[in-house]
Amino acid sequence: MAQVLDKPVQVKAPVSAAERTARRRSLLEWIAIHSLGVAAALFFVLPFVFVLLTSLMSDTQALSRDLIPHTWEWSNYKKVFDTPGFLTWWKNTLIYAGLGTVLTVVSSIPVAYALAKFRFRGRNLSLMLVISMMMLPPQVVIIPMYLFWAKQLDLSGTLWPLIIPMAFGDAFSIFLLRQFLMTIPNEYIDAAKVDGCGDFRTLLKVVLPMARPGIAAVALFQFFYAWNDYFGPQIYASENPGAWTLSYGLESFKGAHHTDWNLTMAATVLVMAPVILVFFFAQKAFVEGVTLTGVKG
Amino acid sequence: MPEKSWKVIPEVSRKAAVALAASASLALLATSCTGQSSSGADDDASKNTTINFWHAWSAPNEVKAVNSLVAGFEKAHPNIHVNVVANMTDDKINQALRAGGDKAPDVISSFTTNNVGKFCSSGALADLNPFFKKAGIDPETTFPKAMNEYTQFDGNRCTAPLLGDAYGLYYNKTAFKKAGITSPPKTWSEFEADAKKLTITQGNSYKQLGFMPNYHGWESTTEHYFGQFSPTYFSKAGKSELATDPAFEAGFKLQKKLVDELGGYQKLETYRSKLGDEWGVKHPFHTGQVAMQLDGEWRLGMALDAKPKFDVGVAPLPVPDDRAAQYGKGYITGTITGISAASHKQNAAWELVKYMTTNTDAVVNFSNAIHNVPSTLAALKSPKLKYDPRFKTFLDIAANPNSTTSPASINGGVYLATIQNFGYDYESGKTTDLKAGLKKTAAQIDTDIAQAK
Amino acid sequence: MATITLASKRRRSGLAAKQRKQALRTAAFMSPWLIGFAVFFAYPLISTVYFSFMHYDGFKPPTWSGTKNWTYVFEHYPFFWPALRNTLWLVLVMVTLRVLFGLGIGLLITKIKTGTGVFRTLFYLPYLAPPVAATMAFAFLLNPGTGPVNSILEKVGIPAPGWFNDPAWSKPALTLLALWGIGDLMVIFMAALLDVPKEQYEAAELDGASAWQRFRYVTLPNISPIIMFAVVTGVIQTMQYYTQPLIAGKVASGVIQGAGTQFEPGYPEKSTLTLPQLVYNLGFQRFDYGSACVVALVLFALSMVFTAFLMRRRGGLNLAGD
Repeated sequence: MAQVLDKPVQVKAPVSAAERTARRRSLLEWIAIHSLGVAAALFFVLPFVFVLLTSLMSDTQALSRDLIPHTWEWSNYKKVFDTPGFLTWWKNTLIYAGLGTVLTVVSSIPVAYALAKFRFRGRNLSLMLVISMMMLPPQVVIIPMYLFWAKQLDLSGTLWPLIIPMAFGDAFSIFLLRQFLMTIPNEYIDAAKVDGCGDFRTLLKVVLPMARPGIAAVALFQFFYAWNDYFGPQIYASENPGAWTLSYGLESFKGAHHTDWNLTMAATVLVMAPVILVFFFAQKAFVEGVTLTGVKG
Repeated sequence: MPEKSWKVIPEVSRKAAVALAASASLALLATSCTGQSSSGADDDASKNTTINFWHAWSAPNEVKAVNSLVAGFEKAHPNIHVNVVANMTDDKINQALRAGGDKAPDVISSFTTNNVGKFCSSGALADLNPFFKKAGIDPETTFPKAMNEYTQFDGNRCTAPLLGDAYGLYYNKTAFKKAGITSPPKTWSEFEADAKKLTITQGNSYKQLGFMPNYHGWESTTEHYFGQFSPTYFSKAGKSELATDPAFEAGFKLQKKLVDELGGYQKLETYRSKLGDEWGVKHPFHTGQVAMQLDGEWRLGMALDAKPKFDVGVAPLPVPDDRAAQYGKGYITGTITGISAASHKQNAAWELVKYMTTNTDAVVNFSNAIHNVPSTLAALKSPKLKYDPRFKTFLDIAANPNSTTSPASINGGVYLATIQNFGYDYESGKTTDLKAGLKKTAAQIDTDIAQAK
Repeated sequence: MATITLASKRRRSGLAAKQRKQALRTAAFMSPWLIGFAVFFAYPLISTVYFSFMHYDGFKPPTWSGTKNWTYVFEHYPFFWPALRNTLWLVLVMVTLRVLFGLGIGLLITKIKTGTGVFRTLFYLPYLAPPVAATMAFAFLLNPGTGPVNSILEKVGIPAPGWFNDPAWSKPALTLLALWGIGDLMVIFMAALLDVPKEQYEAAELDGASAWQRFRYVTLPNISPIIMFAVVTGVIQTMQYYTQPLIAGKVASGVIQGAGTQFEPGYPEKSTLTLPQLVYNLGFQRFDYGSACVVALVLFALSMVFTAFLMRRRGGLNLAGD
């Protein structure tokens, strides 16, 4: 008797009808939700799949309505790489995006810090002006800016007109960083002041390490903005193929290869891929940055 | 509470004042230095020098052909080295010319003949008349009439023709035979009849369409149609003759009639959207989906390359019934080349332009390589020209004194685009009052030109 | 008396010195942006106004033309009003659909329990595609003749529209492209939805509220600031809509730099025209810098109207908060 009662016996409680209905409903719900999810996922993913498949087709097949390549022409990718200028576009885009991001971050941080933590007359005005600049379409000021860079400084045909302004702060980055810096409690700053740190050292030694997620988000956004920029290179770099970026080069590529959709799609894949790869490695910073803009502030 | 310090309050307004002053002075700076400094032709073309040549060709065989053309020049002028850049479309060339500076090209070539008016009137390209005179070459006797017309504007000859394009009629000989048509149509009435005979419908679409008349149909643009009617686009005073020259009305009416008789705009447009790309292998003429095609001389080479299942025929486009004697003429346009006005090496640049445009052998070789129409009268007659016998039609069209082109205008091709846009409205039935529409369009053209002055 | 005066003087000058030091500090920190603002915002804006009254083609020096450009753009430029109408269409239709779809996908993602990470990544990916690449991909996919979408539609028996080649379908096609890239809105809505206090849901459930009622009375009020944010930034983005319609029109029209004319924007039939494209067309294709500046100022005015609206609506913006 004792042995039997050693292990507690699990007695299954009888399942009530109501519970069964509830479980069935939640199962149906699960199926419905996940079917919708799969349908949505198909909508989002299929275009990538088609582009990839087309990039592997032969010249003539790309023009047909076939969905699956008959022959897997991996050589298309080699052809795209060998296109004169393709690697140059890569190099230029990396310089534009990389250098631009560094300049933006370095110049935006002090401004954001001042707007977040200093009190001064004109702070509210400055903040409103920053927001106004954020909302400004680049086309509004392009004519005088183009004349300035091309005629005054003879810098057309290069990417400098796009990179140099990034050394003077970027409105969007300033705003984002400011929102983030405001969440840093003042106690840290006050403590640093008490220790004798000047404003600049406080910023450098105390605040920045705490602001890493915000800085990472801003850096990522700026990087992708430059990577994806088409209008800027179209205006400033179009006359010099040596200065083209991937976005502009891709459109030119289509022009030179009117109907080589397979090659164009291969080039498209090569332009999309790095962005997606970087995203996979930096997901958290990305999502946090997007959330910062929308939800907080 | 710290007392308000007067030194702090104006800080913001002080900063604003400084910013405003800086902006104002920068604005003044920008405006003062916006003119182009002309360099004049004062370089020594016999010294060692390097010039930049930008062109718009991009297909591998075309790029190769340009490179051999330039190589021939360098052989004849070993002291001038040419940097050739391909695939430079107009937006890039225009910007480079306007930006000026050292990176700008010395010699350019463009497919957009319509831009000649802009290039000449704005001073972007140098006037070649002095160069021609000094070299003892008379453009009027060197180049075909139509080509002389489209390379100059208002007395300023800022471009020279670098090979040309002629438009004619391609037809499916096999389909002709099947339909019982013995020869290509010479007048538009014959053309209408033939197009109808060659159209075989299939359900709501077509198995074979006699002709695709819609203005979006690749080369069936308004200016190509109207070329056969010898229109006068602008009066001597520079005003649009669209509403006053009956040639335009006749042209629009013809196209509309074709559209209505071949199945109506919607049916044709739906069919067109399913047809292959203009530059691809599946071009509807190659596949037999369209039996007659209005196209340029390059189509012959492309059609033969596609190995169609029928005999390709070539003929001049039909003429209006009341101009039947002019049969054999066509619409001419072409690539143009010029020297940048900002170039410091204009004499060297001129040597290249002179070679490319007037050296008969050079022109012939280039034409043989890319299957375009040669742009000098001498080259058109050269025995060294290699061509498919059918290509001769285009050579004849180019040499024909009745052949037409569209004139240059100060704002480039804007007037043609405006006419084309009206064409879209008229063919689709969006506009039904032709006369009123023509008046309105002519007024738009005049306003645009006034704006550009 | 003298000592007190001296001391108070020293105190006052000490105070002034401190304030001066603070002002310098602020100026130093703010300097990058201040210079940027003057050179890249204020100066060009004033210049744009200036050039809108000048006739300038990039070659000959500019000459005064008064209101000629303004009259031309508003009364004679055939692309101006269609572009404005298109902007209105895009604001009413594309922004609305994006917000609704973003909310829907956000909701969906919060309800997916299995493999949430995978789904979220897949939904987000299209947003990362560079606009040129994405537009070209869609122009290919939606090609009425040779694209896979139409071939599938026809196999299933659904009438296949002309997408980027049909003036009635080109803006819907652009909207489809915009919905494909819904990732940014999805993340924002997702975060907002997850932020809704669970207690409110529980309370509502206890009160016997249905799913719809919970959504209407608990979810919506909590996320309405985000919805407002999405709407206003959507409108501002629509003002800047340039690359996608331009590339779509170019690719779909198949206009290659062949013999003859240059590409006029808005294919097909001005249906994809937007104001930023007009600035490019007038300034860099027609070389009418003056008229381009007129359109630029219209664009500016419209953007500022919506910016002002955004700023008022978002109230604090933590302007004061420290």
